[in-house]
Order: sequence, then C-alpha cells, then structure tokens
Amino acid sequence: MSIATLSHAIQSTGFFTSVRQSELFYPTVMATHLSCIAVFGGMILMTNLRLMNLALKHTPASVVIESLRAWKRIGFVIMITCGILLAGSHLDKYYVNPYFQLKLSLLVITGIHGLIFHRSVYYNASLDQGGKLPAKAAIAGGTSLILWLTIVICGRWIAYYDDPNAIANLLRRLAHLV
Amino acid sequence: MIQPYDVSTNPMNTVEWLFAAMECVHIGSFALSIGTITMVDMSLLGAGIGGRSPAQILRATESWTMVGLITVITAGLAIFSSDPLRYYYSPTFRFKIWVLLAAIVFNYTFHRRVSLSGSSPFIAKATGAISVILWGTVVFSGLFFAFNPGGY
Repeated sequence: MSIATLSHAIQSTGFFTSVRQSELFYPTVMATHLSCIAVFGGMILMTNLRLMNLALKHTPASVVIESLRAWKRIGFVIMITCGILLAGSHLDKYYVNPYFQLKLSLLVITGIHGLIFHRSVYYNASLDQGGKLPAKAAIAGGTSLILWLTIVICGRWIAYYDDPNAIANLLRRLAHLV
Repeated sequence: MIQPYDVSTNPMNTVEWLFAAMECVHIGSFALSIGTITMVDMSLLGAGIGGRSPAQILRATESWTMVGLITVITAGLAIFSSDPLRYYYSPTFRFKIWVLLAAIVFNYTFHRRVSLSGSSPFIAKATGAISVILWGTVVFSGLFFAFNPGGY
C-alpha cells in the first residue's frame, strides 16, 4: 500500500470526512490550535528565555520548568489532537506538502531534544546551583526556541504551498543572497 | 495632491513571502503577549506557577508582554494594509478589534490593579477568567475572519 492510498483511506473515513465538511467545527479546531500557541507556546517561549537567562531572572529556571510542566503537557495534548484533526481530514494534500513533512520531522527532533537534555536540564533540580545557569541550559533553551519557531513558521507555510519545487527554489534564492 | 492608496503597490501584496512572514511574526508575538498575560491569569485563577503570586508573575513578565503587544499590533497593521477595505467592512474583523481594545484596556486597568493589589479570591478568579475569555475571543475571531477567504 502506498502512502497515497493510505492517506486517502484515512481522510476518507467517515470521521475525517465529517470533520472536513463541517462548516463550523473545522475552523473551531484551527482556532483552538492557534489559541494553544498563544497560551502554551507562550509558556515554551518564556521557559526558553529563562534558560537563556533573558527573562524571569528572579525565579530559578528549575522552578519555572517544574511549575509550567503540567500546563505544557495539557497544551501539548490539545495541540496534537487539533493537529491530527486538521491534517487527518486533508491528508491527501498534507502528506505531499514539504512544509508539513518538515514540521513533522522537526517535532520528532524536538522530542529527541527533550530526551537529550532530559536529565541535565529539564529534570535537574540543582540546575540553578551556584547562582549561574550552566551553558547547557542556554544551549537547550536556544535550540528549543529555534525548533519551535521553525515549527510555527512551517505550520503557517503549509497553507501557502502550491509549488512542488517551493523549498528547492527557496534554498536557491537563499544561496543567491549569500 | 494626495494619491488614492493603491493596494497593488503594497509590498505585502507584491513580495511573495511577505504576507506569510508577517503572519508568522503575528503568531509568534501573540504567543509572547497573550502567553505571558495567561501566566498571570492562571495564578489569579489559583492554578499557580511555582507558588508565585500574580503580582510577582506580572512584574516578571510585563516588559515581555509589552514587547509582544507592540510587535503583534505592528504585524497586524501590516497585514491590515494588504487589503484595508476588506478588513474595514468585515463584521468579524470589527468584532475582533473591539474585543482587542477591551482586552488591552482591561489588561492595563482592572487586571493590573487586581494582580498587584491581591484582591479577594473571587475578584481575582473573575479577573483571570475574564482575561482568558477576552484574549481567547481575539484569537478566535481573528482566525474566523482569516478562514473565510474573500468573505466577511
């Protein structure tokens, strides 16, 4: 079975068909996806800025991480649920979209990023000891910031994709600039 | 002689990627502004962030909120300039702008005073809830407007 037939089969299920055809439900899911960026994306942003020692300096980074963790988990679940509803109901169009592919790859990389810094940063109660954050905290925060911003950008660019050579052209143009 | 504004010369319409880029800036900066306001709201609602009081969280985040708001409104104006008449005559967009103004006024008056002074739990919770609803409505009405291409 090819990805094309699989994608078509998924989006053709009764469930995803009704999601796609609903006049109010689909934009509501999209608006919820976006509201999650506002609320939980904001928390990710502030956590990363804290790790980079740019914001919330009076609160230890480990306290910021610990106290936002539960909220970010809730947000992540809502976010992914909405994302599955949005992409699943248009999977024919999505799976060939390079920005969608890039976005999914970056989400996987973000997962790996979380694992890499799991013990040294995200579950490190003594992260702030000595009054100065270690360099690995700033590295974790900085890479996470870049990853999440790129994920948001890819998400937006999915909607504008109509040219199969879009990414190749973009890279060529960027190379031209350099 | 004042020339009538011609949208077809606006870089937002002539530069292929600029509109989408502005949307990304808009999304990123509302994450910053609304995200930080929501952190205060959650502590007002008693959900708490590391045992910090609403006043402490407000003090720690207010400059970021301001940076986010200025950026999100600037990007919003750029997006608006791409087709002002469509926005101007859209009931959904007008609704968004009224709620946005209400949310900003609420944020810098009542919300701020309650967060800093430590009111009764009921007032604090109500303030947090109103704030979440106002900002959520802004995001929702923005999306519902954008989702209806060419329409209102």
